[in-house]
Amino acid sequence: MRLFGSAARVEPSPEAAFAALLGRALWPRLAVGLGALLGAAMLAAAIGPADIPADATARIILSRLPGVSLADSLPQSWRDIVWEVRLPRVVMAGLVGATLALSGATYQAVFRNPLADPYLIGVAAGAGLGATAVIVSPLDYTVGGVSLVPLAAFGGALTAVALAYALARVGRTVPTVTLILAGVAISSIATSAMSFLMINNSQRVHTTLTWILGGFNLSEWGKLWWVLPYVLPAAFIILLYGRILNVLQLDEEQAQQLGVNVERVKLLLLGAASLAAAAAVSVSGIIGFVGLIVPHAVRLIWGPDYRQLLPMSMVLGGAFLILADLLARTVNSPSEIPVGIITAFCGAPFFLYLLRMRQRAVF
Amino acid sequence: MRWKSTRALAGLKARVCCFFCPKVYSKSPSPISRRGTFCVPQKGGDVISLVQRGLLLLALVGVLAVAVACEDGGGEPTPKASPTVLAAVQVPYPQSIVDTVGREVTMEAQPQRIASLSPAATEILFAIGAGDQVIAVDMYSNYPEEATTRQQLDAFQPNLEAIAGVGPDLVLLFYDPEELSDSLERLGITTAVLGSIEETPESVEAVFDQIRLLGQMTDHVQEAEDLVAEMQDRVDAIEEALADVEQGPRIFHEVDAMLYTAAPDSFVGGLYKILKAQNIAAGTDQPFPQLSQEVIIERDPEVIILADGGYGESPDTVKGRPGWGNISAVRNDRIFVIDPDIVSRPGPRCVEALEALAAYLYPERFE
Repeated sequence: MRLFGSAARVEPSPEAAFAALLGRALWPRLAVGLGALLGAAMLAAAIGPADIPADATARIILSRLPGVSLADSLPQSWRDIVWEVRLPRVVMAGLVGATLALSGATYQAVFRNPLADPYLIGVAAGAGLGATAVIVSPLDYTVGGVSLVPLAAFGGALTAVALAYALARVGRTVPTVTLILAGVAISSIATSAMSFLMINNSQRVHTTLTWILGGFNLSEWGKLWWVLPYVLPAAFIILLYGRILNVLQLDEEQAQQLGVNVERVKLLLLGAASLAAAAAVSVSGIIGFVGLIVPHAVRLIWGPDYRQLLPMSMVLGGAFLILADLLARTVNSPSEIPVGIITAFCGAPFFLYLLRMRQRAVF
Repeated sequence: MRWKSTRALAGLKARVCCFFCPKVYSKSPSPISRRGTFCVPQKGGDVISLVQRGLLLLALVGVLAVAVACEDGGGEPTPKASPTVLAAVQVPYPQSIVDTVGREVTMEAQPQRIASLSPAATEILFAIGAGDQVIAVDMYSNYPEEATTRQQLDAFQPNLEAIAGVGPDLVLLFYDPEELSDSLERLGITTAVLGSIEETPESVEAVFDQIRLLGQMTDHVQEAEDLVAEMQDRVDAIEEALADVEQGPRIFHEVDAMLYTAAPDSFVGGLYKILKAQNIAAGTDQPFPQLSQEVIIERDPEVIILADGGYGESPDTVKGRPGWGNISAVRNDRIFVIDPDIVSRPGPRCVEALEALAAYLYPERFE
């Protein structure tokens, strides 16, 4: 607060004044965003390849409330489909979408680079390598009913990011450009290793490729607990740092002069964003584009103030991925389409539209 | 997915090639109309011209019409193709055949150094007694045991130099990436593409055709015909046992844990058609679609067949999946694991798969 105030005084740009204005207007638009998220979730819960009437779906969900029993007359298979398959899927898609969009916004802010997305410094390639290694290994990859694939993906993602960070270290600082380059290099090493594993195990190419393209077909409530412990604290930390990220949009040196411990902030925020993205990727595969375009879309619509950009990205990222997943399971029913294909196919044109409409927007 | 499109193309070409040997002939009582035989020209070296083929086709239609008429009139079942007749039709080397993608393949002499880059072709060759003529196989050719003693090549990332290096006089491909066959022919190595038959619905018939074709090429016509007859008998026995079945159980065939399955229009799907099973993947237009989990629960399979047992899936893991507890197959404990090699490979062991599946689907009719 004081920090931001001083930044505005040092650099009294119209943009900062605009941002201050926007800060006050966060709540109404957050309400709109949450409404969109809820609407998307309800739509996605009501529609699916299994032909279940919307009112039955509503009754099944409501009957989960204590003391409500509206679904006793409905077929058990409907209850299983809605409660055990469709709903966890919707919730998971929302959670992963929110996480990817938030990490993407954080990466874009820390790197001050519009092309940054959560996969920039190795999360995707590391996760892909970890998952592929387990999928193609001749060993049983399910231990005690728990698949090792998400664990390996999570480990791979964090290892890749940590390596990139360690390699990019110059003395006590980690210059962002060096970090991006190190991340790109680590990513290409991991990607080539992954391709090698895939090519050498052609019988598993389909499984591997499906995992990499991402999807929520195998979502279950239990998997939420694999994600939430990482995502919730990470999101909490990142949301607290909206103002600092605004300051960081100046130059790193200026931010330092304004009292921001730039190196510590970078480490903390990149660590949180990477951890959250790694957790999301480990359960959903590498879903592209959400982390890149949702923050930009928010920025194009509501401007670059990170205090509102971060929460709005989360809310809209969740809504966007829920709708994309709805398409993924209904367009080609009864077959699935990898959701990553939908996000790129539908997200990019919308993004281009925004780009054309708001040419003057600042990145 | 480059290989997929190549295979689709191969299928298209195969259909064009087989225009003159349409499906109706493959069940004909007359041996000469079998596809494998029909595609072989009468004189070594050159393939019969289109006109000749057309004439032959007309003649065959005539013969068939007569045969059908006789059958209808007499009501007497026509005897099965007798192998000896076919053996008599056999042509000496050099001989030419048309492979499944429509390429003309000429063999100057009986091949003695075959490189089989197709696990199914490897199984067929060993089953018809041509195993001694095989010097190299691809790395997925794991059956019979003896095949694994041959030099190994890679069928999916084929290395021209490695293939040429084993000095083959005949290379069999089931997958022809980047015109590998042309490159091999340029090196003077005879190459036949025994194309994807996974798209053809009449799957077992297509396997029979390939067995006959390979018998012809390797001069093991009699053994090939015997093998086909034996397989046909086993298929017939199953069809007979199921003659009074109107509609079999609903099945879900799991190819992998991502819920990929085999649709009716796949080789595996063809086996289930013989078994009159109701494939819950019906209604998709891909041979191997990824089904939505809720569709599987909604369509409620009575039997679940796991072809991914080698990758950590088992009846217990299936039972543990959330939301699956009420599926008929899970409640009645009718989840079975099958060896993916026998069930998805269009080779001699597909009848073994058929028999195993028959026992899973109809335990009361088969032991």
